[in-house]
Amino acid sequence: MIFSQLHRLGVLGINNRVGRYILRHNKRKFYPYVDNKVLTSELAHKWGISTPENYMVIKNYGTLRTLDARIAHLDSFVIKPAKGSQGNGIIVITEVIKKEVNGQIEIQCRRSNGKIMEIDEVKHHISGILSGLYSLGGQNDEAIIQSKIEMHPVFNDYSYGGIPDIRVIVFQGYPVMSMVRLPTRSSDGRANLHQGAIGAGITLATGLVNHAVIGKKLITHHPDTGSEIKHLVLPHWREILDLSAKCYDMVGLGYLGADIVITPDKGPVMLELNARPGLGIQIANLSGLVPRLELIAAHAHEKRDFKERVDFSMKHFI
Amino acid sequence: MRTKIIAFTIFLLIFPLGILFYKVNYLNLSVLPQKVDDAWHLHLTIKPKAKESTRFPIPKTYPGVKITGEKIQAENAEIVIDSHADGNIGRWTKIGEGKSAILYSAKINIDPVSVKTFHKDYTQVYPKTFQKYLIVPTLTPEELEAIESLEGAILEGDEDKTSAIRKIFYYVDEEIRRNFGVTKIHESLFTGNGSPLVKAKIFNILARRQKVPSRIIVGIRMPTPQEEATKQKIHFTYTNEVFLSNKWIPVDTNRSYFGIRPENFLVLHRNYDDISKYLSRKNATYNIQIQRAKMNRFNKEEYRKEVAKSNSWLSNFSLYRLPLPLQQMFSTILLIPLGALVLAVARNFLGIPTLGIFTPILLTLFFKETSFGFGLLFFGVVVAIGIVERYVLDKFYLLAVPRLSIILTLVIVFMIGYTLFTVDGGFFSQKHLAFFPIVIVATNIERLSIMLAEEGLVNTSKSLIGTISISILVYLLFSIPSLEILMFTNPELLFSVIGILILIGKYKGYRVSEFLRFRDLVRQKKALEEQK
Repeated sequence: MIFSQLHRLGVLGINNRVGRYILRHNKRKFYPYVDNKVLTSELAHKWGISTPENYMVIKNYGTLRTLDARIAHLDSFVIKPAKGSQGNGIIVITEVIKKEVNGQIEIQCRRSNGKIMEIDEVKHHISGILSGLYSLGGQNDEAIIQSKIEMHPVFNDYSYGGIPDIRVIVFQGYPVMSMVRLPTRSSDGRANLHQGAIGAGITLATGLVNHAVIGKKLITHHPDTGSEIKHLVLPHWREILDLSAKCYDMVGLGYLGADIVITPDKGPVMLELNARPGLGIQIANLSGLVPRLELIAAHAHEKRDFKERVDFSMKHFI
Repeated sequence: MRTKIIAFTIFLLIFPLGILFYKVNYLNLSVLPQKVDDAWHLHLTIKPKAKESTRFPIPKTYPGVKITGEKIQAENAEIVIDSHADGNIGRWTKIGEGKSAILYSAKINIDPVSVKTFHKDYTQVYPKTFQKYLIVPTLTPEELEAIESLEGAILEGDEDKTSAIRKIFYYVDEEIRRNFGVTKIHESLFTGNGSPLVKAKIFNILARRQKVPSRIIVGIRMPTPQEEATKQKIHFTYTNEVFLSNKWIPVDTNRSYFGIRPENFLVLHRNYDDISKYLSRKNATYNIQIQRAKMNRFNKEEYRKEVAKSNSWLSNFSLYRLPLPLQQMFSTILLIPLGALVLAVARNFLGIPTLGIFTPILLTLFFKETSFGFGLLFFGVVVAIGIVERYVLDKFYLLAVPRLSIILTLVIVFMIGYTLFTVDGGFFSQKHLAFFPIVIVATNIERLSIMLAEEGLVNTSKSLIGTISISILVYLLFSIPSLEILMFTNPELLFSVIGILILIGKYKGYRVSEFLRFRDLVRQKKALEEQK
């Protein structure tokens, strides 16, 4: 059977992920907490989990008219669809440029890739978000104007044009596997594996990189910065795991992916949660999820708080 | 829970089969309506010349020939049908004054007959009822002389009956050319020409002289499409049957068939001797008309009658009760779950990506409603319009719904252009259901262009190719006519489809695409283990 090798390595397939983990452990009623980023950040606020600050939430087209005035005082920001997925529809504005033309102030925005966006283009993008272009299932959506996160200096040599994020798969509140996604030139500064970002597996016990891949190809150095990826040491590692384990208590989803960024000032910040996290993390770690998930399933009945669960994971997933 | 699911699934799978079994075995319904392709409409007009009464042969149902919708009528006369072992004979008795023509019509299905193996035959004694097939007709001295010299030339005298019959067959088939002008036995043997009837007679005499039961078959050959088109007049024709190794073997010395009766030959009567006098022009004139039945691929009407006749509670659930336009619609709609089944297999077992979940099926319906070529062209054009729109209208900063509506309108413009500038205008001439997929496909285009912008050409092409290949696969499936009619006749099979879908839904194994996705993981892991 062609699948026997995958089975031997304990690779988790899509059908198995959906049938045995997502459908069993993720109750549908909790989905809005992760699918709608406005709700996620409200909930996180209550639980004391740090998230990027939301400057405003745009709910209808009418408010778009006054957008210029409302973003004029900002230096930088991020536009996000509340119900987006896979980073689609996200635009990072690094600079708000104010120009005086004929006595009126005109606003332009500079994107993270250096391109200039006219204010009309920004509004157009937001109206696209509102009409559901980027949302799951195409329903009407809201647009979040959020503070732009600064990159932690530890990533200076490991990222090209964007901010890396850390994905932790959490099963029953236990961190199971994690990776850091490092943007590259070909990923256009995005931390998206499908678009060519580096996926570097992080050993849970240590916070050190174990392997790194671009697509399916094993790599050792960042293609744009030339740094050896194994030399990357993630700061605040224990806090990152604690944060991700706490997210389980917060949203009640048994199988989730927590996306976390490390900021220079606030430390780890939860960016978003995912009820259907991808399987590429297995390639980045060169190991399968199934044995880890089964180990946790065997211990799931034991009552543990998030710190004890993280201890467990750091002890077993080395 | 698990056992409950399994039990439920098994029930869903078995239940329709049970109903099917019940319908076939207890209600005596056919699994499928009979095909109309090989059905014929036979119209026989007989004008008797006799004053009081006469007889005439009419077709009879027997294995290989099915006669339905038989109608017979005659003015100023009484008709009685006698059934004999060799065929049905109508009896016409005049009552009252005036001319009387007999009109006979029926629908006829013919299955070919083929005998594959022939054994040597040394039978000496035959049952009494076979005596009439062994009597050699009285021959004139010239005929006898010609026959005897022929036998001397082609037979050795010590062969078994099967071999002797074969030799006779080859001689009559090959050495006597078909010539409608030659109707006398000795003339035929002398000139090497003969009418079908005389050839059948010669074969019959030679066989009976070898003590092999033999008879002349009166039949009608169904017209070829060309003959049908040119309205060629149809006559009775004559072949033979001989009794060898306990079987009647069909033999046709006019068309070189030995042991085969093709599907275009209708046996009217099995013993020419009994009816030859009724066929003579002195007795009556026969006008034979035959048309190929063309209405449907399958004869739904007959099946509907079958269902009504069964008088079962199940007949209330038959889709054959619906008016015809609805029937046509449902026969397509009932295929959709089968398409979904293919889609589920393609996505969950193979892992083929598609653009939207049901887009491939909608595309298939579109192919089916228009044509495959046009469907593909249309899809290509819509994709192109979507991509071009993305680049051109992007600068206008339009809201999403108006922009999608513009795409939709452009698609309609294309359709008008296409229809105006192609001769057949095939697209609009037919169906209404086609408009439904247009909207859906057009809506998916925005998705496509976003995907193109965000996931790149490679991933988008994968989804596009996946979508098109699945829809082609489903289209091929939908093109099997017996499948369509099977679902329409037995819609309870939908429950089996649900059962199979549950099984697919419970599948937790890998997808074929994951084998490709994680193949490098396996390879690299191996390499690392070897290094250690």
